[in-house]
Amino acid sequence: MKIRSIPIALAIASAFLPSAHAKLNVVATLPDYAAVAREIGGGKVEVTALAKPTEDPHFVDARPSFVVKLRTADVLIEGGAELEAGWLPPLLQNARNAKIERGKPGRVVASEGIRLLDVPATLSRAAGDVHASGNPHFMVDPIIAKAVAQHIAQAFAGLDPANAAGYQANYAKFEASIDAKLQDWGRALLPFKGQPLAAYHDSWVYFAHRFGFTIETFLEPKPGIPPSPSHLAEVIGRMKKEHVRAILVEPFQNRKIAEKVASSTGAHVVDAAQFPGAIPNTDGYVAHIDGLVARVVAALK
Amino acid sequence: MWEVMFWPVVACVLLPWLLVYLGIHVVQRGIIFIDIAMAQMASLGICVAVLLRLDLESPATFAIALGFTLVGAALFSFTGKRESKVPQEAVIGISYVVAAAAAVLLLSRAAEGDEEIKNMLVGNILLVTPGDVWKCFALFALVGAFHFAFRKKFVPASFDREAACQQGLRVRLWDFLFYASFGFVVTGFVRIAGVLLIFTYLIVPAVCGIHLARSFRNRLLIGWALSLVGGVAGLFLSFQFDLPSGAAIVCTFGALLLLVALGAGLASRKSGG
Repeated sequence: MKIRSIPIALAIASAFLPSAHAKLNVVATLPDYAAVAREIGGGKVEVTALAKPTEDPHFVDARPSFVVKLRTADVLIEGGAELEAGWLPPLLQNARNAKIERGKPGRVVASEGIRLLDVPATLSRAAGDVHASGNPHFMVDPIIAKAVAQHIAQAFAGLDPANAAGYQANYAKFEASIDAKLQDWGRALLPFKGQPLAAYHDSWVYFAHRFGFTIETFLEPKPGIPPSPSHLAEVIGRMKKEHVRAILVEPFQNRKIAEKVASSTGAHVVDAAQFPGAIPNTDGYVAHIDGLVARVVAALK
Repeated sequence: MWEVMFWPVVACVLLPWLLVYLGIHVVQRGIIFIDIAMAQMASLGICVAVLLRLDLESPATFAIALGFTLVGAALFSFTGKRESKVPQEAVIGISYVVAAAAAVLLLSRAAEGDEEIKNMLVGNILLVTPGDVWKCFALFALVGAFHFAFRKKFVPASFDREAACQQGLRVRLWDFLFYASFGFVVTGFVRIAGVLLIFTYLIVPAVCGIHLARSFRNRLLIGWALSLVGGVAGLFLSFQFDLPSGAAIVCTFGALLLLVALGAGLASRKSGG
């Protein structure tokens, strides 16, 4: 076996891959995966997100361009933990793109290899809109985001070997930027460690877990079920008792309900966002977590 | 474009004919909101199925949903008296709000995200599958054949109730059959196309037809032509400007109705002066 022939063989092989010439066409279901994919892909990939950052990721309205994008995608990045289960499968069925079928290298399932929290012991409709594989809102934990970024970098490198080194370098840069920031974030949130927070929906368990909060009070009685009067009364009582001072609400949730609870408990409503870009000037992943941390700190001060 | 829009276009060509026909009946009877009330009855049935922990896709769930629409059909045929101080539309409106509120109550106990049920009940024309289209077409063909076979009963029951009663037609029975078959059609189509679109297909072509022609046959032909133009043009606009397909079709129909009204107005002024 001649060592010298390997690079030549690789060059020939990559010449037959369309991705060696054109940019990789990447579709991400949600804006957080898209933000990370842009960091990893740099100028070598074209990334589009299907859902808008201000949209409820459980329910996304399909438009014709979604099917067109999925049809021509080289890579699909999805969460895979049932967050998009309501709207992605019919889109994929219509797009019929073999490159992004499950199990193909073009299908990146972000939750693979992530240990999800809150995996239900038993599944029952009585618990509400619970996801069988665990809580799918994992991207607000920067350390999990690093793992997802690595997963994406590996997938890009496999599909586009010519630019593999570039993807790895971009991943290293992303990792370094998170590592540098983690200390800042930790320091900013340290004075409030252990404090209980409230949220509209159970989408902050990973954030709480990473930065030492407890978020166990939810305005929804069960995930996906709108707040009822008796439940809100219970929430207000518990918040007063535990001195909860902030309620995290996302753009697509009912802010009025949170304001009502806040006014009777003295807590602050925090405009929190799961997705980069939902709040102006938070387009990159790091800027997004920066903004989130700053708003939580401002509410708790 | 065709790769994405082929099946939606097929659905918009193959399916609306029955809705336009039923729409002419519905407008004539002055029961415009019956489709929404019927769809709500069906969804109340599905909420019951959820409460019983049935699988949402199972035949049992479908049977319960159908059962509720039949109850609605019975109710509406019973309350649709010839001379009553309470208009039929009021009964329909009341059934709609009560069914909708009952669904909210049931869901608060069932603890199922109501969005999930909404998703199941309300389809998106863009994502229609070939199987959906053919199943719905078969159902429509059956109902259409039934209406065609008994057109001598159904048409008088809607258009000339006085005479129909005097001739000894059992109006109550034919009303029930009308509402029941209507329930089948609504529950079938709403899962493909959603509530907005079904309402539009029922009412807009019928209103245009009634505006422009006198005979049942001509109204139907005008309505069919309009439903084809509106559906296909709406899908085209939806693709061209990347808009949600159902809403684009509805607004296209609204614009078409406006054009027809303006055109008819101009024509009558010319002929008048």
